[in-house]
Amino acid sequence: MPTPIHTPAPRDRRRGPVAMTAAAASLAIALMAGCSGPQAAVGDERVEGGTIVYGHLQEPPCIFGGWVQQAYLSRQVLDSLVSLEDDGTVVPWLATDWTVSGDQRAWTFTLRDDVTFTDGTALDAQAVSDNFEYWLDGGNGTVQAYLADYYESSRAVDATTLEVTLSAPYSPLLTVLSQGYFGIQSPTALARGNEANCEQPVGTGPFTVAGWKRGESVTFERNDDYNSAPANARHDGPAYVEGIEWRFLPDATTRYGSLVSGETDVIYDVPSIEWATAGEHFEVQRYITPGRPVALSFNTVEGPFVDERVRQAFAFASDRKAIVETVFRGAVPFEGNGSVSQGTSNYNAEVADAYPYDPDRAAELLDAAGWTATDAAGYRTKDGEALEVVIPYGAGSILTQEGSAVLQAIQQQVKEVGFKVTLIPVTQSELFGGAYSQPDERDIYVGYWTSPTAGILHINYRHHLPESPNGANSTFYNDDELLALIEGANGTTEPSEQERLFAEAQQLISDRAVAVGLYTQTTSLAVGQQLRDVWLEASQGEPVFHDAYFVQ
Amino acid sequence: MTALAVDERQVKRRVGSGVALRVLGRLGSAVLVLFAAASATFFAQALLPGDRATLLLNQRTGQTEARSDEELAPIRAEYGFDDPILLQYADYLGGLLSGRLGVSYQMHQPVEALIAEQIPSTLLLTVTALAVAWVLTVIWTVATTRRSARIDAIGSGVETVAAGLPPYWLGVILLVVFALGLGWFPVIGGSEAARLVLPALTLGIPLAGFMGQATRAAFERALDEPFVTSARMRGMSDLGVRVWHVLRHAALPGITLSGWALGSLISGAVIVETIFARPGIGRVLVSAVNSRDLPVVGGVVIVVALVYVVVNLVVDLAYSAVDPRLATE
Repeated sequence: MPTPIHTPAPRDRRRGPVAMTAAAASLAIALMAGCSGPQAAVGDERVEGGTIVYGHLQEPPCIFGGWVQQAYLSRQVLDSLVSLEDDGTVVPWLATDWTVSGDQRAWTFTLRDDVTFTDGTALDAQAVSDNFEYWLDGGNGTVQAYLADYYESSRAVDATTLEVTLSAPYSPLLTVLSQGYFGIQSPTALARGNEANCEQPVGTGPFTVAGWKRGESVTFERNDDYNSAPANARHDGPAYVEGIEWRFLPDATTRYGSLVSGETDVIYDVPSIEWATAGEHFEVQRYITPGRPVALSFNTVEGPFVDERVRQAFAFASDRKAIVETVFRGAVPFEGNGSVSQGTSNYNAEVADAYPYDPDRAAELLDAAGWTATDAAGYRTKDGEALEVVIPYGAGSILTQEGSAVLQAIQQQVKEVGFKVTLIPVTQSELFGGAYSQPDERDIYVGYWTSPTAGILHINYRHHLPESPNGANSTFYNDDELLALIEGANGTTEPSEQERLFAEAQQLISDRAVAVGLYTQTTSLAVGQQLRDVWLEASQGEPVFHDAYFVQ
Repeated sequence: MTALAVDERQVKRRVGSGVALRVLGRLGSAVLVLFAAASATFFAQALLPGDRATLLLNQRTGQTEARSDEELAPIRAEYGFDDPILLQYADYLGGLLSGRLGVSYQMHQPVEALIAEQIPSTLLLTVTALAVAWVLTVIWTVATTRRSARIDAIGSGVETVAAGLPPYWLGVILLVVFALGLGWFPVIGGSEAARLVLPALTLGIPLAGFMGQATRAAFERALDEPFVTSARMRGMSDLGVRVWHVLRHAALPGITLSGWALGSLISGAVIVETIFARPGIGRVLVSAVNSRDLPVVGGVVIVVALVYVVVNLVVDLAYSAVDPRLATE
């Protein structure tokens, strides 16, 4: 689910020279990549062993946890019960088979009987049950966001049979379990406590954590006894390479430059400015994160956006598509659907085009809503008050520089229709400390939520009530009709019914302009030609190195 | 010249007791500085707007939402956020007095260990940068001060430009030209000599410009001193005069600046550590501030304050060594 926090780039402060620097860097890298030889002399013959040097953007505080940056790392050492195919199919991993009871409340998993954690503990049903208890007892906040409303208990029926009992039907369960947050850890290792588990979680995975030089790198070593690759892996047995040197390279120029100079074999997050040229020299892979896209979620309980027509007017008032395409130079696609992003199963593509740029329509809607007068500055007014909306946004944490540029362009464009937009960049510590999380503090929330299922709708639209608050309901929209659709979809295992209900829920959110989309949260890899078969798994784009090998 | 008239041993004794007093005074003020740094950090971190337990929970899940009391209660209890603020402060100071900086909220590691792991890299970078700055300053000042109107102008012009270079911009330019373009150095920074050159230059060049400006003024004054004329009359070469006589006088402002510079280099290190992907205390501090990881922020502030105090003490002593008159005053 969670949002990658982008390292605040020191460049923010110095716009002028930096634009120049970035252009110069781009040019130099392009020249270098164009004339450098190392890419050319690679054949197809597999080389045994070797260590992959991988350049990653952000360094989380712990290797295991509820943040996507932690799932990227823990995926290398932990296996999960199931894995997700690109087409959304769930395939076996540590669980070879599963069944669900008629009332859909009891899930029975059959586990492999030949798998051992790297600390020697056997993987059995009790161990997996211990993990469920650990996550829901506060060990993983993201697991809690998904399962706290549904999980009741789990127990080991016998060594290889695990029964998970839910309080209500939850059809996305298997898809949800495929994410790295649900990686299974050794119960013996869990008992060591937070300090050890933060630095060195122990699983049954293809690698083990050999060391962590904070601020520099995490070193993974091959698990020579590995026998539990997921069904969608490209080979079984131990990894081809001996290990991974996972470097943290927060600066985009350095990260991309390190790949060009051959100091890294593969990097994450190719800078937009390099996207086009990267494809000429490296194998590039793009991952469009499923879940909620980067979207404008309107405050439906306070301020001007309580009126549906004003929300719709705002959606019509800017050419979001053109803005996104200009700012990201084609590296990131536009996403008009504000609740579920393309690449998520049960995505409703029709609502993506619901609000094209139509300033006349916007003006009509504002007139109808009573915002008929105009003040000296050109802003619409009603009863003497200007049509002002406040958009706080996590500058450098939730939104990249490019995301901030998209907001600024929208601010300019909606002004023509008469909206006065106040953008408030919010620091990471303020934002995560709960600033602007209340209805009287903001008119629009900007943010995304990584998730492999349209079941994300339940997290984002479950009612926010005094007795059962839901802070993740960023529109504060408590609508019974919508919730019934979402719960209906979560409660059915009939695929066509599920698709219909999820599609209707997205349609309703779009029709009433509760949220409109901007762009997909997009990540990417660039792989040097000396390395093959690195892939991004489907649930949230965790890089997989188990199948990768060097060629010469 | 006055020292010639005084008994040498007497001078040494007086210098010695002067130094001892100075060290004692400095130690007293050092304790005060550390106490103030720890207290200011504690209250700034604890009293900033926003709920610390919410921040912790959101940070651990990558979310930015309001949290219910039910979710927050266990975290508040675990970290004592429910206690009165003065009690939390007393706990914190008590921990410091017994030599413990606490355990990171986010990383679950003892702060001493985190800092011990990171500070060598930062010190290596800042000390190297300071050395680079000194070498550049000395060579440039000796070579260009009071040569001709034109060389003088170029000399001080270059210093002004260098002093104003933004480190981020300079770092990326050095990276693009010397690592990516010419391939002389690796792109990724580190502790080996080759990986240290560009980061050290990024910090050292602006500092050299700054110290050069101060040194040049003092150098010019010293060139007018009678001892310069007398040295020249003894037949000493121009370079000899500049290096052996003038530089010693002109170095004083630079030495004073060095103590300040080391402090500023540690803060400048953040940018360099990010560009060149070096480990170090700067990056640790930035991420700790972003996540309001109070024990880590406090620990880093205290350690940096300690380094600052020690360096200034050393600078003070170095000053006395260069100019013994100061110790006897």
